Amino acid sequence: MSIVAKRCGVRFIPPSIILIYENKNTSKTRKRVIPVRNFSQYSDCSRAAERLKHHVRHSVYLESVSLAQLERLHLILRDHLKGLSLEESLAARRASDPSDEDLNKLSDEELNRRKAQMDQLFERNRKHKDDPDFVYDLEVEFPENSVRETCSWDEEPSDEGF
Amino acid sequence: MDSGGISDLDLDKYDADEQVKIICLGDSAVGKSKLMERFLMDGYRPQQLSTYALTLYKYTTTINGQTVLVDFWDTAGQERFRSMHPSYYHKAHACVMVFDVQRKITYKNLPNWYKELREYRPEIPCLVVANKIDADIKVTQKSFNFAKKQGLPFYFVSAADGTNVVKVFKDAIQMALSYKKNSSDFMDEVMRELENFELESKEESSDKEETQEGKLDSA
Repeated sequence: MSIVAKRCGVRFIPPSIILIYENKNTSKTRKRVIPVRNFSQYSDCSRAAERLKHHVRHSVYLESVSLAQLERLHLILRDHLKGLSLEESLAARRASDPSDEDLNKLSDEELNRRKAQMDQLFERNRKHKDDPDFVYDLEVEFPENSVRETCSWDEEPSDEGF
Repeated sequence: MDSGGISDLDLDKYDADEQVKIICLGDSAVGKSKLMERFLMDGYRPQQLSTYALTLYKYTTTINGQTVLVDFWDTAGQERFRSMHPSYYHKAHACVMVFDVQRKITYKNLPNWYKELREYRPEIPCLVVANKIDADIKVTQKSFNFAKKQGLPFYFVSAADGTNVVKVFKDAIQMALSYKKNSSDFMDEVMRELENFELESKEESSDKEETQEGKLDSA
C-alpha cells in the first residue's frame, strides 16, 4: 500500500488527528480519523507525537507526516484542553519559535507587522527618560565565569563559519 | 544640484582627523535603529537617504578635549539583500554588529556579515552586540562563541531598558578614533591609490556623472 499524506490536522471533539491522504495504488483520496487517546493537558506532546508516529496501525499512513507537525498538532490540542482559544494557541506557536525565521526575506508590509509585534515587548520593557530610575549610560557587567554555559546556538554541525 | 544626499555621501570628509564613520550591521529587525535612538535620545537628527537605503545619524562629542564628529551609518532595509553596497563599508572606522538574542538565525547570520565586512575593511574594530536581553535575561549567563572565536569585543545590551547601550557606542567611538590614528589600513591605501588614479585619468567624465546624479536625486 503506498500512502501519500495530503493534509494533516487536528480535531478537538473527540480529540483526533485527521489525515487526508491519497492511496497511490487506487488513486483515491481518503480521510482517516486517528483518535488521540490517553492525552491530557499535562501530557508530553513530543512523546505523544512519537507514539502516534510509530503506532502499529497508523504509522503507515503517517509516514510522510513529519514528527514536528504531529507535535505541533498535539500542542494545539493540549492548549485547547487547557482552555486556550485556537487563536491564542496559534499565536503562541508563532511566538514560541520565531528563532529560525529569516525576516530578511519578508515583504515590507510583513516585516513592518513583525516589527510592530516586537515593539510591544520593547515598549513594555522600555525605560523612559522621565522614569525616576532612568539612567542614561546604564552599565551592567555580566561577568564571564567558568561555569558559563555555552549557548546551544553554538552547538550545531553547521558551524563551519564560527 | 548640491542636494543633501550627495554632499552627505562625500566620503572624503572621513579623511579629516576629527571625523569618524561608524557603521551598523546585522539582520532585519535586530534593533539597530532602536540602539542608535537610545544612544542619541532626543539629540538625534536622522537623515533618511532613501535613494541609498540608509539612515545617517550625526553625533558630536568631545574626547580628550577634542571635538569629534561621528556619522553613524544605519541601514534602511538594505540588509534584506543579504549584502551591503560597497560604499557602506568604504572608509568606515568601526563597525557595530548586532544580533537579536531571541532569534537564532540573526546570530547564525553573523559570520556572513562579518565576512563581507572583512572583504572591504580587513582591520577596523568590530563590536558584537547581543541585543534584547530584556526579553530573556537568562541569556546573559550563556556564552556566545562567535565573538570569542573572532577575537571581538562582546556586549549584552538592551535598547529597551538601556543596558550597556551607551557603553557600546562610546567604546565604538574610542576604537574608531584610535584605529584612525594608528592604522595605515592596507585597503585604505589601495583605495586611495585607485581613487587618485581614477581622478587623474578621467577627471572630466566623473564630473559629469556627479552632475547627473545630483539632478536625479533632486528630481
